[in-house]
Amino acid sequence: MSDYRYDNQTVQGFILSAIFWGVVGILLGLLISVQLWAPALNFPPYLTYGRLRPVHTNGLAFGLGVGAIFGLSYWIVMRLCKRPLLFPKLARVQLWLFNVGIAAAAVSLAMGYTQSLEYAELEWPLDIAIVVLWVMFAVNVFGTIIKRNEEQMYVSLWYIIATVVAVAVLYLVNNLSVPAGWMKSYHLFAGVNSANVEWWYGHNAVGFVFTTPILAMFYYFLPKATGLPIFSHRLSIVAFWSLVFAYLWTGAHHLVYTPLPDWLQTLGIVFTLFLIAPSWGSVVNGYYTVGQDWSKMRSNYLTKFFVLGITFYGLQTVQGPTQALRVVSQLIHYTDWVPGHVHMGTMGWVTMTVCASIYYVIPKIYGTEIYSEKIANVHFWLVLVGQLLFSITMWITGIRQGWMWKATDAEGKLVYRNFVDTIAGNYPYWHTRTLAGIIFAVGMVFFVFNVLMTIRKGRALERSESSAAPAAVTAA
Amino acid sequence: MSGNIYSKPVTFAVMATVAVLVGTVATMAYPLLRPDMHVKVAGLKPLPALELAGRDVYQREGCVNCHTQTVRPLKSEVVRYLGNRAQEPTARYSLAGEFAYDHPFLWGSKRTGPDLAFEGWIKPSAAWQKEHLENPQKLVARSNMPAYAFLNGEKVDGEAVQASMRALRRVGVPYTDDDVAGAPQAVQGKTTMDALVAYVLSLGKAVNRGGAGGGEIDLALANPLAHSVEAVVRGKQLFEANGCGACHGDEAKGQEGVAPSLIDDEFGGVKGDLPDAAYFVMIKGGSDAKKALGRPGVPDGGMQAFGSDLKDEDIWAIVSWLRNQKGHEAAEGKHEAAEHPKDGK
Repeated sequence: MSDYRYDNQTVQGFILSAIFWGVVGILLGLLISVQLWAPALNFPPYLTYGRLRPVHTNGLAFGLGVGAIFGLSYWIVMRLCKRPLLFPKLARVQLWLFNVGIAAAAVSLAMGYTQSLEYAELEWPLDIAIVVLWVMFAVNVFGTIIKRNEEQMYVSLWYIIATVVAVAVLYLVNNLSVPAGWMKSYHLFAGVNSANVEWWYGHNAVGFVFTTPILAMFYYFLPKATGLPIFSHRLSIVAFWSLVFAYLWTGAHHLVYTPLPDWLQTLGIVFTLFLIAPSWGSVVNGYYTVGQDWSKMRSNYLTKFFVLGITFYGLQTVQGPTQALRVVSQLIHYTDWVPGHVHMGTMGWVTMTVCASIYYVIPKIYGTEIYSEKIANVHFWLVLVGQLLFSITMWITGIRQGWMWKATDAEGKLVYRNFVDTIAGNYPYWHTRTLAGIIFAVGMVFFVFNVLMTIRKGRALERSESSAAPAAVTAA
Repeated sequence: MSGNIYSKPVTFAVMATVAVLVGTVATMAYPLLRPDMHVKVAGLKPLPALELAGRDVYQREGCVNCHTQTVRPLKSEVVRYLGNRAQEPTARYSLAGEFAYDHPFLWGSKRTGPDLAFEGWIKPSAAWQKEHLENPQKLVARSNMPAYAFLNGEKVDGEAVQASMRALRRVGVPYTDDDVAGAPQAVQGKTTMDALVAYVLSLGKAVNRGGAGGGEIDLALANPLAHSVEAVVRGKQLFEANGCGACHGDEAKGQEGVAPSLIDDEFGGVKGDLPDAAYFVMIKGGSDAKKALGRPGVPDGGMQAFGSDLKDEDIWAIVSWLRNQKGHEAAEGKHEAAEHPKDGK
C-alpha cells in the first residue's frame, strides 16, 4: 500500500483543488444569476456579467471538471493497471501547474482577455499552459497503462484513453490563432469556418470533458461502490465505439438556421439523433447493473448518486437531440431553455457522479469510512432539488420567451414588437433560478464539509497508526 | 471475443484516434476546403480602424455572451430585425458572405439582449447608441444590461490597432499598408466608447438592407389624410409598432441628446416649422432627405429610411398623428398659460 501513498496524495490534491475551483465557480454562478435581474450589481470593468460568465463556465469546466478528471482518472488508472503512476513526480508538478493555470485563467478572463470562443475563451499563453498540462496527463496515463500489471484493459480505461486523444485534437485545432500581442489573438478561421470549427470543438468539449471521463468514473466506481458487476460487457463495447465515432459529427447542431450551409447543419442533426443510441447504451447498462440488486439503493448511500446521475445523463441525451431538430431549435435556440439543458447535465449527471466518486475515493485513501452518510444524504437531496428547480424554470421561460419572439397577429405583425417586453417576463423565473442556485450551493457546502471532515478523520487515524507502529516494531 | 485490442493499449489508442478523426475530417476539415464555406458578399471591406478597435472592445467586454449576431431566416425574426425592409429577399437574414473577415465569428449562442446583426440599420443613431451604452435603463427602463459609461474615460490605443491589423492580415484580411499606417491617425483622440459605437453601427452594413430613398421632394404635396380622425389613430399605432418611440420618445416629444422632438416648432435643427410634406420625405428617406430640405439637423444624422417598409398612406397617417399631437401640445400650452399667467408661458 505504501507504494501508492505518494500518488494518493496527488489524487487528493487534485480532488481538493477541483473542490476549491468548484466553490469559486458556483459562487460566481450565483453572482451572475443575480446580475441578470439586478443590473446594478454589475461592477465594471472587472465584475460585469459579460466578463464573469466565462469565468463561471471555465472555472467549473476546467477547474472543477478537469481537476476532478485528472485526480479520479489517476486513481482509476492505478487500480486498473495494478501499479502506481509511472511518473509520480510529474503528476505532482502537474497538480501545481494546474492550480496556477486556473488561477491565471480566472484573472485573465476578468481582465477581459478572451478569444470570444465559447469554452475556449482563454488567450494563447494560457492555451499553451493547458496543452502542457494535457501532455503531462497523457504521458502519465499512457505510460502507466503500457507498464500495467493487468492484461485486460477495463472499460474505464477505454474512455480515459479516448478522452486524452480527443481533447488533444479538439483543443489544438480550435485554438489555432494568430497573436496580435501578449494577451490578444485572432482566430485562424473566419466567419462560417470560425463558427463551424468552434462548435465542432464546443460540442465535443461537452463530449470529452463532461461525458467520456465521467462515464469512465461511472463504469469504475458504480461496481466498486455497490459490489455489482457491470451488466453487459458487450453493450459497453458497442456503446463505447459508437459514441466516440458519432460524437465528432454533431457540432453543427449548435448552428441551426445560421448562415452555415444547410447540408452541414443536416449532417450534424442526423448524427445527433444517432447519438441517442450509444448514450442510452450506457444508461441501460447502468440501470441493469443496479437492477441486479435494487436494494442497494437503500443499503448503499452512493448508489442513488450514480442512478440519478445516469438518469440525468439519459434525459440529457434525449433532450439534446430533440433540440437539434429544426422545428424545436427555431423555438428554443438562443433562449434560457439552453442553460436549463446544460445545467441538467452539469449539475445532474456530472456533479452527482463526480461527488459520488470523491465520496468513494477519499475514505479509501485513509482506509476509513465517510465522515457522515447522513450529511451525504442531505447533500444529495439539496443538489437534486436545486438542479431540478433550475432546469425546469429555465425550460419554461425559454419556451415562453421563444413563443413571444415568434408571436404574430393576423396581419403578420409582431405581437411583442418591443424586445424588452419579452425579457420582462423572464425576471420571476430568473429569481427562481437564483433560489435554485442557492439550494444547490448549500448542498455543495454539505459535500465539502463531509469531504474535509473525512480527511481530518483519516489524518487522525494515520497519526495514531504511525505512533503505534514503532511500538509494534519494538514489540517484535 | 471482440479481438484483443483491449489488451494492446497502443493499438487501441490508434483505433480510438481514427474513430474520432473520421467525423472530424468530414464535418470540420473537409468543409474548410469547400467553396460554399468561403463565400464573400460583393464589395466586402475589412473594418476601418475605429470599428476594428470597437470590435476588440466588444470582444473584451463579453458582449457576445448576451447578444447574438445572426438573423435567422424565420419569418418572425426577419420582421423583428427589420430585414423585411431589404428589397432583395436574400438580404433579409444574415448571410455567410458577410462574415468572411470575422476572426473569430461573433454570432453568440444566447439572446439575453436583442440580436445585433442588423443594428447598423435598426438604430443608426450614434447618439442613441452612446447614451444607451452609458445608461441602458435610462432609455429602456426594464433592461438588464450593465452600464458601460467607463468606456468614455478610455482612449483607443493606435499602436494596438496597428498590431491587430497586422495580425488579421496574417490570417487573410486584406488590410493595406496605408490602412495600417493610417490607423493611429484614424483613432486619434477617440475613446473606446466611440469605437464600440462605431463598430455596432457597422453591423449588417456589408449588405444593402436599406429601404427606398425619399424619392422626389415636393414640399407642395398635401397630406391626403389631413383632418382624418381615423388616420390620426392609425398613425399613433404605426408610430408605436415601428419603434419610433425608442428614439423620439413615446409621445414624440424627443429625448435629450438622442433624437429631436417631432411636435415642437423646430425642424431639422432650425426654428420654424415646415409643411407636412417635409415630415413625409424625412420618414420615407431618412437622414439623407435632410440635405434636400436644406436643414442641417444632427450632423451625422441617425434617422433611418422607412420608404420600403411603410406604404405612403401609412407614412401620411403617421404625419397626421404628429401634426395632431403638435396641435394638441400647442393648445395645452396655451391652456396652461391662461391658467397660470404668472409663469409667463
